[in-house]
Amino acid sequence: MADLANIVAVGILLGGIYALVSVGLNLIFGVIRIVNFAQGEFVMLGMYGTYAAYTFLRVDPYLALVVVLPGLFLFGAIVQRLILAPLRTEPTMQIFATFGLLMLLENVVLALTRGTAYSVTSVVAQTSIGIGGVQVGLVRLVALAAATGVAVALGLFLKHSMLGRAIRAVAQDRSAARLVGVNVDRIYMLTFGIGAALAGLAGCLLTPIYTLSPQIGTSFILPAFAVVVLGGLGSVLGAYIGGFIVGLTEAFAGYYLDPALKHAVLFAVFIAVLIVRPSGLFGQVGAEEVGLRDQS
Amino acid sequence: MSGALLQVRGVAKRFGGLVAVNDVSFDVARGELVSIIGPNGAGKTTLFNLLTGQLAPSAGQVLFDVQDISALSPNRRAQLGLGRTFQISQTLTSLSVVENVMVGAFLHHRGLKDAARRAEEVLHLVGLADRADVRAGILTLSERRRLEVARALALDPQIVLLDEVMAGLNPNEVQEVVSLVERLHAEGHTFLVIEHNLKVVRRFSERVIVIERGAKLAEGTAEDVLADPRVVEAYIGRKRAT
Amino acid sequence: MINPDGASAFAPASSAGAADRTGPRTRSAPRVKTFASELPRALLVLGLLSGLVYLYSGDTFTLNTLAAAFLFAGLSSAWNIIGGFGGQFSLGHSVFFAVGAYTTANLYLKAGISPWIALAPAALLAALVACLLSWPVFRLRGPFFAIATMAFTEVALALGNYMESITGGTRGMSIPFRLGFANMIFRDRLSYALLMLGFAALCLLVVLAVHRSRLGYYLQAVRDNEQAARAAGISVLRVKLMGMALSAALTGIGGGLFFMQVRVADPAALLSLFEFGVKFALIALIGGLGTIYGPLLGALVVIPLESWLRAELGGIVPGANLIVLSLCLILAALFMKHGIVGSLQRLFTIATRRIPR
Repeated sequence: MADLANIVAVGILLGGIYALVSVGLNLIFGVIRIVNFAQGEFVMLGMYGTYAAYTFLRVDPYLALVVVLPGLFLFGAIVQRLILAPLRTEPTMQIFATFGLLMLLENVVLALTRGTAYSVTSVVAQTSIGIGGVQVGLVRLVALAAATGVAVALGLFLKHSMLGRAIRAVAQDRSAARLVGVNVDRIYMLTFGIGAALAGLAGCLLTPIYTLSPQIGTSFILPAFAVVVLGGLGSVLGAYIGGFIVGLTEAFAGYYLDPALKHAVLFAVFIAVLIVRPSGLFGQVGAEEVGLRDQS
Repeated sequence: MSGALLQVRGVAKRFGGLVAVNDVSFDVARGELVSIIGPNGAGKTTLFNLLTGQLAPSAGQVLFDVQDISALSPNRRAQLGLGRTFQISQTLTSLSVVENVMVGAFLHHRGLKDAARRAEEVLHLVGLADRADVRAGILTLSERRRLEVARALALDPQIVLLDEVMAGLNPNEVQEVVSLVERLHAEGHTFLVIEHNLKVVRRFSERVIVIERGAKLAEGTAEDVLADPRVVEAYIGRKRAT
Repeated sequence: MINPDGASAFAPASSAGAADRTGPRTRSAPRVKTFASELPRALLVLGLLSGLVYLYSGDTFTLNTLAAAFLFAGLSSAWNIIGGFGGQFSLGHSVFFAVGAYTTANLYLKAGISPWIALAPAALLAALVACLLSWPVFRLRGPFFAIATMAFTEVALALGNYMESITGGTRGMSIPFRLGFANMIFRDRLSYALLMLGFAALCLLVVLAVHRSRLGYYLQAVRDNEQAARAAGISVLRVKLMGMALSAALTGIGGGLFFMQVRVADPAALLSLFEFGVKFALIALIGGLGTIYGPLLGALVVIPLESWLRAELGGIVPGANLIVLSLCLILAALFMKHGIVGSLQRLFTIATRRIPR
């Protein structure tokens, strides 16, 4: 019984991390219809940004948010404007471009750090709490809470704020949105910026948990895709719930099968869902096809 | 009428609670030119997609050459002899004009040269022979329409379904396409045509089927149907109102 | 979007005819190029490449680079069949590459079957695996197909590390150095360069045959517009599977050849996304997506560039070669969508237009 509780706890905490990483990816997909292969690298940048702030400004990793969030927002907006906006009608070239970005960021960081692994500690990192006999690291709880907070806040933002409504309008029908006076190009830039900032937030909160390496981004991106596909394309709630599905799947597969096979099991499930219900469990049916077709 | 080439038996299509096509039946005999008319949103294109297999009917049957094809895929139906064009023309933009038509011609001509030869013949037929080497992506709208007809004809189909081939064309171009269809019809091709342009329908003047709110409202010669008060009310009356 | 006729980069035969359209055309034969009419050009290109090998036959470094370039020319051409002509953006070709590599190596090591012969089952098995894997995912489009195939790589890596009896697990697998033609193990680098040139030639000829056939046109029709393809009587799934099977078979042969050349590899190396899976696509894009000669040209540019970067900067800046490659990738996506072949074509058109008639 204690085993089961442990696996569930591990799965849920992992799920929180995956949910956090995936929310931005799904927002970008839902609105701009771009599958951003470089999203994991944005998380990685967030982690290194946090490390830089921690080392040079001597602030707690969690405080580094103040720098990392705007930094990544700006970076995302620039990337969208320079690289993705010109490729709006060319889905194949979008894949090439975002994949190129993935390779570029990973290897630039590799070149800069020369592959040295860094790690960061926070006061929070040493603390763990016992819940019902299961020891839980506080940093992972923070990530879980943050994922929940982000999902709720993003949902509220999209529903109630003017900008959020404009974003939803663009997501639903970009030509109609343009007709009623929404500046679609600006919305795209802002959305991509917000998506990147969310990745930065994830990176910040994960810095005390993971050892930093340039390759860490690629290890996030496939689980994040799995989350997005399982949870539902373009759905914030879907990304949140999808995170837990993926986290729990991985935890159970790692325990009951072979830890070496947990990724194989996860992706087998992922591919199965892609095939059975390509729109995901909470997504709009047909979203995966709209992803390729030009709307405008 | 049991020997008709295409027999539509009470087909219906529901999307959730919405009934797009409701219990429509009609026949098209070999060598006929039949038009389907109806106001916007009446379900004409949905009906077409049921016939060509893009959609599966919720009820009813489509018989082609007395074979039930209701469950067959679009490509199977094309192989059996149902050629079609699309309302929004579906050009293979990276291929040349002749290659577009070859893609159709390959159905019965496996070899590259045979297919090319057949494609050229068809291009002559539709008057695009001098554009054969041009990339299809740069064609004008009316040329694209003719190209679609050519690709469908290259299948050596038993019936060709044309979905609003005149839409968006100027009067001269409409004239060109009308005479093309008339010529092909005179040569013995069978056509089922969705048409918006009532002048065109009058000229074709064979059997006309009126669809309104997904159901068949009337059927008969163009003169009779267009004089039918129900049709005038449903179709033309509504048109005036907008 | 994609120019299907890469051949005309070298001599745009069709546009020459279009220039003087004075009277009514009096042609009887269709203007479509056939395999036979394209063959001389392909043989000329291959002849030039053999000349290149002959020229550098004494230079070990260049021979190594050429061998790698030819290998990737073949692999990228193979990818191009389904990725370029068929528009199915696979990132999972390293799986078929690895299947070919392990089939060849295991048959050679455990059953003593000469690699020359083992390449046949390697190709078959790679094609079979490719069909089984892609059958269900071919209903996905564009980026989602790419993601699913990327996930294949991940699953294959986990399985590869797990199945130690076949792959040697994370420690890798090595083939003892036993010289001999039957063992496909040579001391001189010239033999490897020629071997890989032979592979590139095989791939080029297969690509040419596919491109000038019904299957080639069907693949392009599927890429351009699936709905129109169906209306033309094309079974979209079957066409995709056939393209994938051919593509994977050639990729499997490439994997076998690669393993016999390096003689030691672990799953992580064979299934590396950057080194193989993506590089096939990248080379095809830089050369010219969906063209006959694009992947060949792309490999002849990218691989030497990479090996030069690795030699010059590898020690100073780790990952420098990948930084340059990824920049090329982004820039090509933005400014050179038709690759080198497309740019050459445009140059040719501009040049011929300037010449007064």
